[in-house]
Amino acid sequence: MRAASLPAEVLGARERESDEELLSRARAGDPEAFRVIFDREAPGVRRFLGDLLRDDAAADEGTQETFVRVHQRLGTLSESGKLQGWLFGIARMVFLEQIRRKRRDAVPPEPPEESLATDAGPSPEAALLSAESDQMLDGALAGLSEERRSALLMRIDHGLGYGEIASAMGWSLQKVKNEIHRARLQLRTHLAGYLEEGAR
Amino acid sequence: MTHVPIEDMESIAAGERPGQSPVEIAAHIAQCAECARELAWLRAEKALMARRPSPPTDHLWPAIAARLRHPRRRPRWDVRVSLAAGAAAAAAAVLVAVFRPGRPPVPAQPPQREQQAARPVRPRAAIDPKTLAALDRAEEDYRKAAKVLEGEYERLRPQLDPDLARRWDETLTRARAQLGESRAVAADDVNVRMRVLDGYAGYLRSLRYVVQESEEANP
Repeated sequence: MRAASLPAEVLGARERESDEELLSRARAGDPEAFRVIFDREAPGVRRFLGDLLRDDAAADEGTQETFVRVHQRLGTLSESGKLQGWLFGIARMVFLEQIRRKRRDAVPPEPPEESLATDAGPSPEAALLSAESDQMLDGALAGLSEERRSALLMRIDHGLGYGEIASAMGWSLQKVKNEIHRARLQLRTHLAGYLEEGAR
Repeated sequence: MTHVPIEDMESIAAGERPGQSPVEIAAHIAQCAECARELAWLRAEKALMARRPSPPTDHLWPAIAARLRHPRRRPRWDVRVSLAAGAAAAAAAVLVAVFRPGRPPVPAQPPQREQQAARPVRPRAAIDPKTLAALDRAEEDYRKAAKVLEGEYERLRPQLDPDLARRWDETLTRARAQLGESRAVAADDVNVRMRVLDGYAGYLRSLRYVVQESEEANP
């Protein structure tokens, strides 16, 4: 059944259902429960894959593949509270497989030299005043290595906890913190550079 | 007070109360330019992320639902290849465990005559009949698996884009050449024979990749 065709009160009830309840029903073979999981999580997964792949068709395909795998592996998720981290871990594996497949066709550009400059430049709020801020952010994210971009986005765009990111990336907690910190510094350097350019 | 931990800063940027000592933290931020700037960046990050539109995903569901109703069947060639290659790989693993061959000789620059004379001659690892039979069987299994995949590729190749087919041909030619090199020197030395098995495993990986890609190019 399509979510859009459901009455508002049913949609409200669906929204309130916890991950644990949904997972339990989905594991028992209830297709509607899995559809609700899809409705809740697919936009985040699609955006995550879009940011990593930078190709709409590939991100759509990756999202579909992710949810097929999620369905196949529902029984392997031990802690229901960690659904999102687990899901993003699968999405990232799908992304890595797609990249491996495409590597023959195109060599991805090397990320620019890392700069750890921490401060100076215009106020960050100024970035938000620009109508081009989305493109600016897009460019800044593209400058990050795949691993850093994944970890940073899981944190700042999808709100995953550091522990969940560690599971999804297969890293230690300390590495997650270090990488996200460095990613942030790179991002800020890029954004500050853009603002300086705009001010000239 | 030292600088505010990042988790607390993130909570404040998200409009939540920090985990510990909210009053102290607020007082610190009020007088620490570095923390104040960090908080401003975190808020800017959050605002930038919040501005981004949520991509539509409803249109992705029908294909997922269809795949869940009718899961893709594993292609018949994959089953046959897995059986043959699995047997070969298992045999090779047993050989490694039982025989523990030494490091294979490195075919580098030809050594100087004097060095050659000075170097002690390492005795060749002779093969007992059982090991030899196991090696032959493993190689035969790999050959069978390769044959299945080569046949599958031949079947798919005419429908492929000519450029793509040419690229796959080159990939397979390179893989065959590598295998041929190892087979050319294979004799009764276990180390060399093990390298041939490695060569077959590599060739199979290339073949499997090419066949899978060809299938995806011609669903």
